[in-house]
Amino acid sequence: MSEPRADYLPEAIREKLIHDPRVAEQDLRVEVQARRVRLGGNVASPQLKQRITEVAQELLPDYEVVNETTVVSAAEPDGEEPVS
Amino acid sequence: MIRIAAVGDLHYGDGSKEILRPSLQHLQDRADLLLLAGDLTRCGGPEEVKILADELRDLPIPMVAVLGNHDYHADREDQVRRVLEAARVRVLEGEATSIDVDGVRVGIAGTKGFGGGFRGAHGSDFGEPEMKAFVGHTKMLSDRLERALTGLDADLRIALLHYSPIEATLEGERLEIYPFLGSYLLAEAVDNAGADLVLHGHAHHGAEKGRTPAGIPVRNVAQPVIRHAYNIYTLEAGRQVLPAAAGGIS
Repeated sequence: MSEPRADYLPEAIREKLIHDPRVAEQDLRVEVQARRVRLGGNVASPQLKQRITEVAQELLPDYEVVNETTVVSAAEPDGEEPVS
Repeated sequence: MIRIAAVGDLHYGDGSKEILRPSLQHLQDRADLLLLAGDLTRCGGPEEVKILADELRDLPIPMVAVLGNHDYHADREDQVRRVLEAARVRVLEGEATSIDVDGVRVGIAGTKGFGGGFRGAHGSDFGEPEMKAFVGHTKMLSDRLERALTGLDADLRIALLHYSPIEATLEGERLEIYPFLGSYLLAEAVDNAGADLVLHGHAHHGAEKGRTPAGIPVRNVAQPVIRHAYNIYTLEAGRQVLPAAAGGIS
């Protein structure tokens, strides 16, 4: 990608991650400090987390990618909630 | 007592296989229905929803879904719908269905819904055609939801949405994006028609619980919010919040 001004770089990365079909994740937090990109948010699987790292690294090969996203549990719930 | 299992925002796609299946093994013993609150795919591909459909098709309980914004991304929502329906998942858009559970008629009206914002800060269908189209879409879907709910002859009525009808279940999201997360028009439709429960997804950083202005329970079942494969809500027939008499503008 042609590198945008530093002020706009996090949003440019966020947009790329939304539109890359390997990721398509709208809720990622992107922060850029010096030559380091930090990614946060929730993801559905370890595979997706790994893919996000790979795509971000492709986008910014000269940056360190720190993927702090959380893989959300898909375990059975313990109980149930009476709502009426 | 009716037991409703619900989840939204599963975002199935390449690499998602078997995420849900282990947690579905006991679902038939724990719930009478499974409701899916949209964003079942990552990019709206029929091949993505097929992965989910293959995990659902053998579940011996009724399943009902609405689609979400991600499911429209590839402009192949009709195919997404067909794949789900081939796996016995009834997909609703401005429609309703009624399911008999041990003699109790459970009615579900569903729509994706759309955005616009909330009371005091809602967009208007005024100005540019793009703005008219945006808010007009929400109005149209809300009207259809109200009609679908009103037309249900059921002991229990559930509104199944993707977008949020209230602000309370968005708490945790950035305030700036509320207009893209839901619309009060959806809550107004539900309050006009009356219902026992509203389910929605879409707001991954939101909160699980809230109520419409008329007091109908709302649950945000986006998977990143409930942090389980699904949540289970139980309902007793005959305790429905009925619509209040219309008032105000005459």
